[in-house]
Amino acid sequence: MAATKPKSLRKKLEKATPYLLVLPVVAYYAIFWLRPVIAVVIGSLTDANGALTLHNFAMVLNDEKFWPAFNNTAIIVVASVTIEFIGALFLALLINRKFFGSSIFLFLTLIPMALPAVATGAMWITGFTAHGWLNSLLYYLGFLAEGDKIYWLGGLEANTFKLLVLVILVDAWQVIPSMMIILLAGLQNLPEETKEAGYVFGGNYMTVLRKITMPMLRPTIQTAVILRLISAIQIWLIIVLLLGFGRLPVLVERIVYYHEEVPGLDISYQMSAGYTIIVSVIVSLTALVYLRASGAFKKEEAA
Amino acid sequence: MNRKTKKTVYKAVKETIFYLFVTGLIGAMLLPVYFIISLSFLSTREAYRYPLPLVPALQTKFEMTHGERGYLLSVYDRVEKDYQTVLDTSELEKMEVYIKSQLGTSISQEEIQAEMDRLDDSGEDSIFFTKPRNLLYNYDTFFKVTRDAVPALIRSLEIAALTILISITIGGLAGYAFARYIFKGKDALKFSVLFVRMFPGVAIALPMVIILAKANLYDEPLGLSLIYSVGAIGLTIWITASIFMGIPESLEQAAQVFGATKFQAFMRITFPLALPGLAASAMYTFLGAWNETVGAIILTQFKPTFSVVVYQTLLGASGQVNLAAAGGIAMALPAVFFTFFIRRYINQMWGGVTV
Amino acid sequence: MSKKFTFLFVMLVISSMVLAACQPEVITETVEVPVEVEVEKEVEVIKEVEVEVPTKTLVFSSRLFSPPREQEFFINEIIKPFEEEHGVIVNFQIIDDQTLLDRAEVQQTTDHITTDIVVAHNSRMPEWIEAGWVEDLTDVVAGWDDRHFSEAFVTDTNKDGAQYFLPVGADVYLLLANNKALPYLPDGVELDTITWEQYAAWAVAVAEAEGEGKVCITGIPMKSWIYMFGGTALSYGAGFPDASSAGAMDAWKVWETIGKAQGFVPTVMNIDSCVDPMMREESWLTVFHNARAGQVYASNETQFTLAPAPTGPVGTGSIAGVSGYAVMKGSANYDLAIEFLEYLTRPDVQVKLAKGTGGFIPPVQEAIDYLGDEAIDEVINKAVLVLENGVVSGVPGGNYQDWGAVKACFDDVFEDTILTGADVTQERLDAAQTCVDDLLN
Repeated sequence: MAATKPKSLRKKLEKATPYLLVLPVVAYYAIFWLRPVIAVVIGSLTDANGALTLHNFAMVLNDEKFWPAFNNTAIIVVASVTIEFIGALFLALLINRKFFGSSIFLFLTLIPMALPAVATGAMWITGFTAHGWLNSLLYYLGFLAEGDKIYWLGGLEANTFKLLVLVILVDAWQVIPSMMIILLAGLQNLPEETKEAGYVFGGNYMTVLRKITMPMLRPTIQTAVILRLISAIQIWLIIVLLLGFGRLPVLVERIVYYHEEVPGLDISYQMSAGYTIIVSVIVSLTALVYLRASGAFKKEEAA
Repeated sequence: MNRKTKKTVYKAVKETIFYLFVTGLIGAMLLPVYFIISLSFLSTREAYRYPLPLVPALQTKFEMTHGERGYLLSVYDRVEKDYQTVLDTSELEKMEVYIKSQLGTSISQEEIQAEMDRLDDSGEDSIFFTKPRNLLYNYDTFFKVTRDAVPALIRSLEIAALTILISITIGGLAGYAFARYIFKGKDALKFSVLFVRMFPGVAIALPMVIILAKANLYDEPLGLSLIYSVGAIGLTIWITASIFMGIPESLEQAAQVFGATKFQAFMRITFPLALPGLAASAMYTFLGAWNETVGAIILTQFKPTFSVVVYQTLLGASGQVNLAAAGGIAMALPAVFFTFFIRRYINQMWGGVTV
Repeated sequence: MSKKFTFLFVMLVISSMVLAACQPEVITETVEVPVEVEVEKEVEVIKEVEVEVPTKTLVFSSRLFSPPREQEFFINEIIKPFEEEHGVIVNFQIIDDQTLLDRAEVQQTTDHITTDIVVAHNSRMPEWIEAGWVEDLTDVVAGWDDRHFSEAFVTDTNKDGAQYFLPVGADVYLLLANNKALPYLPDGVELDTITWEQYAAWAVAVAEAEGEGKVCITGIPMKSWIYMFGGTALSYGAGFPDASSAGAMDAWKVWETIGKAQGFVPTVMNIDSCVDPMMREESWLTVFHNARAGQVYASNETQFTLAPAPTGPVGTGSIAGVSGYAVMKGSANYDLAIEFLEYLTRPDVQVKLAKGTGGFIPPVQEAIDYLGDEAIDEVINKAVLVLENGVVSGVPGGNYQDWGAVKACFDDVFEDTILTGADVTQERLDAAQTCVDDLLN
């Protein structure tokens, strides 16, 4: 009897440990984050006079820019997450080969990620303008005849597809390194022996990658992709830097638009709150779908 | 023997191709960065030429003639390969300021006067002279206009360090719990911490700032790091959790068998193995805190961050893209140094550690 | 390895904290010293007078003088003499209008008033006044008899007979041309008296000869297009903002001519300020803000020509804007703030400011007497000509829910009609006018 009591206490404590470890986070969010969020949720559910309504969401869904914004966002997310994942995985695998100079190579590839928005803004704006460095470079290399110009951000006719491609590439340039470091960190932990075993049993590089490396890297891949997915849906700054508001609408750009460009409209707050809630619902659903599909939750249920 | 040389040659060729590929890749990736750096050294006049010069000029070549209003100054243009007029004035000060600010070239009023006299005395139509460029002119101007650059820089480092500290401690604990324990509500909790990043931050930036201002954390570095940690913690949890998951629990258990406590086992075994992940999330956190401007502008007054002073300098810098480039580089440098320092922890050289 | 990491990390934290702690302890009450040079000067002043009172800091947040060169001038030539005279420190900060309002909201709602003086654009003044975040300066202004503020802007600076903002740095629109465009100027046209029709014909001639449009307007939504068009409309007797009257229709026809000939620079939809494209020589012709036009002109006086904005049947139309100083409600340094404003609005200081910052018009009637005949005076003079003889209008931002949304109504017409080379129809303009009228308060 006397022996079991401390044991059960210990057991209880053991059971409580994970909750204790998570508690600081929950407390932190409750203090700094929850209240403003609740305020926005309430804002999205009330009209200008404070009465409860669902009208705000109807207003957002009927906004002429909502569906273009939704579609543009969807295209950007699908394309950029795919491109960025492939690019990041390729770079991570390359660096993980630990060739002579790989450490410097890693440092150099990380530079795009370290640049602040003022630098990237100045960089792309002076690059994409008709008399910019990109056209200058093409001219020096002989690809552009004198007097010829490429209008990177579109000439007199707006071409959404071209702009999307450009935005996706520019975004990938800056984001690939940040995705790469997560994958690389995960690669560090893979025991070399397993891979060697794969080679011993006659696997080539691709089969070892597919059958051994990738499955073992799964938690890291899930993290890298989910984090990227979440921020890709919320892309806006680079678009506004290059094109201003409204030219290539995306969902979060709409929030910022009502928040900062036209804050004085009677409906501005309702619109930005409505957009905010809709965006967070879209992001959560996408994240849930991804996590379920990639099996992030399944493992726990089995265990 | 023959076969061996063949093998060596084969290997050498393979390696050369590999390094050519790697160099080409990095060159392509860093090309835009090269241009922004080059731009930061160009004079205003050169920065707006087309085609843009690929490298900054080291000197400025002048031609001086008599003009309608006084002395007509021309400079050699590398694009047109000819002298082009830039200024027609008899005021020494105006000419000096122009040469300094638009051409990024240092010259004194006495020197200008001497050239004017030389033109008058020579009886020729025009005279020529060359002056060295002040390559650092944009950086000079940037730091002259940017007030409190040094204290702001230190403050920003402090904020970033605090943010890393807060998010790694709080986030790392939770990350460990998610990786190692099975408990009720785990998936829901793990998902909710991510939800913080899913909720568009722009919409709640101002209310969050008001909460802090009410808590007397207005204009305090700690206040900003508390705000930056909100986003950073969620990220840290997920990164660390996935890394801890990748480290076999058996390693810790093995250590415990040899008499180590759970904490000791964690510190000796898991922590070093998790370093790449911690370093990766530290890097995310650092860059996020370093580059954040929106909240910092509102929440600071006497103690601005570096991003705020840079923003204030460059807000109206249209027509001075070379200055904006210099400011951007000045701001990027500390972040690049941090990257340089932390990269070794992301790419550890020891591979799989064995107990 | 882990020890090394932890050690380095802790060192980073500690060293940054120590460095931060090394700053003067008194930081909250006194100083955040602007520039090192000033530290020395401050110390000297204090020594001479032998006062031990802690140095007062006046916080001055401004939307105006944002170009780095203007900041440098304002700090060194305007603020410094005041600091030396009064033994105080003026903490000058550049902040855009919206952020300034955000910051004021935080300060006012939490009662931490740390900003003393704000400079806002006249389109945003009503927001400040209605929120009650600025002090009533009527009595103060009544006490100054050596200066009379230009009447052009009272609708924004004043409310219900009380004055809240003191105007500074007015602007009108000027014509700026790259000299490469001059050969295409239609015969017999003088730049100083050019009409809008002649301007359009000129733009068309340039586009046809060069095979590419060269007219710059700000095509990114909610920038300056409404003001560029507004100037034309005023020249034809329309009001502002007026999209559909007969005068406005005539004005749209001018731009329609340019649009049909593809006279706009091809990158027009990506331009948020005409300064860069004019300097890069992507565009050759524009009618824009005098201070920015002056900035481009100063980059190469032999390459650019400045003239008053084109004229129409009723004269030279132009939108005029202004910024204004105000004292933040609840400022702890009210008296010092008033003293500083008295200094800043003196006619001679206003002229010095206008010259040093590249061509803003000093909105004090007496200031115009102080102008000389240097090159920069030419720019100011041309601007004053437009302001005095032209048909000018301010920006009635306060009458509308949101001025940015009003701008968008005009941007849309440009994008879907002018730029595409379509005919301007009364129907389209009526729709635009409805768009504007729906936003009326």
